[in-house]
Amino acid sequence: MTLSVKIKKALGSFDGGDSQSTGPVTGSLESQRSAYSEGFELDVEFEVPPGFAILFGASGSGKTTTLKSISGIVRPDAGCISIDGEVLFDSGQRIDLPIRRRGVGYVFQDLALFPHLTVQANVEFGMSERPHSDRRRRAEAMMDALRISHTARRRPGEISGGEAQRVALARALTCKPRVLLLDEPLSAIDEATKLGIISDLKSLNRELRLPILYVTHNREEAISLGERVIVYERGRVVARGEPIEVFGTPITTSVARLTGVENIFAGLVVGKSETGGTMTVEISDRSGVCLVDVPFGNEALDEHVTIAVPSGDILLATEEPRSTSLRNRLSGRISAIEDKVNRTVVSVHAGVIWNASVTRQAVKELGLSEGKEVWLAFKTHSCYLLDQTQ
Amino acid sequence: MAEIDWFPLTLSLRVALIATAFVVIIGVALGWLLARRRFFGRELLDAAVTLPLVLPPTVLGYYLLVLLGRKSPVGHAIEAITGQPLVFTWRGAVVAAGIGALPLVVKTSRTAIVAVDTNLENAARTLGESEWRVFWRVTMPLASRGIIAAAMLAFARALGDFGATLMVAGNIPGRTQTAAVAIFDAAQAGRDNYALVLVLILSAVTLTLVYATNKLTIDRR
Repeated sequence: MTLSVKIKKALGSFDGGDSQSTGPVTGSLESQRSAYSEGFELDVEFEVPPGFAILFGASGSGKTTTLKSISGIVRPDAGCISIDGEVLFDSGQRIDLPIRRRGVGYVFQDLALFPHLTVQANVEFGMSERPHSDRRRRAEAMMDALRISHTARRRPGEISGGEAQRVALARALTCKPRVLLLDEPLSAIDEATKLGIISDLKSLNRELRLPILYVTHNREEAISLGERVIVYERGRVVARGEPIEVFGTPITTSVARLTGVENIFAGLVVGKSETGGTMTVEISDRSGVCLVDVPFGNEALDEHVTIAVPSGDILLATEEPRSTSLRNRLSGRISAIEDKVNRTVVSVHAGVIWNASVTRQAVKELGLSEGKEVWLAFKTHSCYLLDQTQ
Repeated sequence: MAEIDWFPLTLSLRVALIATAFVVIIGVALGWLLARRRFFGRELLDAAVTLPLVLPPTVLGYYLLVLLGRKSPVGHAIEAITGQPLVFTWRGAVVAAGIGALPLVVKTSRTAIVAVDTNLENAARTLGESEWRVFWRVTMPLASRGIIAAAMLAFARALGDFGATLMVAGNIPGRTQTAAVAIFDAAQAGRDNYALVLVLILSAVTLTLVYATNKLTIDRR
């Protein structure tokens, strides 16, 4: 099963964006809140084969509008949406299937659980055509798989955020959708619960093999779930590929910022060595300056450049890492340690402030703590010279 | 006060109940239309539905007489189908009371339906539900307090209708004389005690209904 999307939609001052309110099906947008005072056009084209595809981008870049277009809640101005060749929407052929005939499962950003019904009734909601016993059996199997059986008799107002998330997922899946859309499903959930849901989502994915389009602006979620990443910026796809490519080798400053590369610095080329294959760049931020070696390029001496270093490429050591091929070795002091979903980010003041991603295990083994002296090391080729387009 | 005539009161209750039943169905449908659909002349429809609230009751009654009278095509058709005319019968009183109550039902149910999160309706649609079933399974239950309030207001309003009822149904004791009309009659004829009894009963019933309506729409918000 493959979802194909090619849509255009003007997002004016009435952009639906990531706002909660939804226009009526008739297509009027008057009830939608403004995300940008000046409008822009959503103009995207992509395919989603079975598995997770992450729709990544800042708030108001058109991610939610894309999901709403696929589900039929919002009508694109032009384009075509199909699942395995079956057309859901085609402006040319004037095809616009109603929401209920699309077979698209949608977990809304605010979940939209029915507050007047129990969890069980919520999960059974979409199976009203089926016989009662069949309905009950499938709902119970689904609640079991998502570990929410104990909440069956409660109402959505009486369960936790993580449980509510699982209920919304169960409700969408009992209808056997052909495509699953998830709009920032984990944004309001604490880190521990998040990890549990992520691992359940992964096993569901292995079992169902549906195209799953997952909207987020969280880099950790994208990396832990993504088989493919599609990066949005102001209504355009600015990068796509495997997470490792997209997050590891950003091409432009805007993509680097969007994908959350932690180390981006403005710098000046101060030395070039063609034979050595390197250039020396003096970088600076508010806290100071520092020299790094970057790959040789066309940039001239004294030219302004921007470089990015993914935090995962930086090695942390408690002693100077001598006799390695690593060209960049900097000593400094830890200024902060922050726990993220699947890693820990250690900030080190070494001329400028660097962020390095390590595991919790490494933090423990090296005895890292604020104020501790450490060495940073990374390869010349971990420094990316960014295009100055944005 | 031995021989109190209860007929006007029971007639009023019957007229108000039947009028409420009709007007809730029509009024909630119109309220939903105004709340959830965009169409040409939507605000004009809203204004037209509001008219009975602000027009003099005699003007309303006059319109109804012209529209439903025995000489009009509509009145003629009704007489042909049911075998009896609508005007100057208790059924005419139902129509008059219903029209008077319609704006209250439309306004109240429109407000209640607008307050239902459209995301919930869209969620139901993504789960395969038709518009009709979305209304009954999501919109209606979530707007039910407002709609019950609308029904109670409609009943209170229908119970007290005077002007339009007098124009359309007349003042025929024992046949079309509702409580509100009977009070006018009794006061004119100097039967003050009888008028007072009806006045107190109507006031008590109406006060209870309005109080309950307020409780329903204001509490738990």
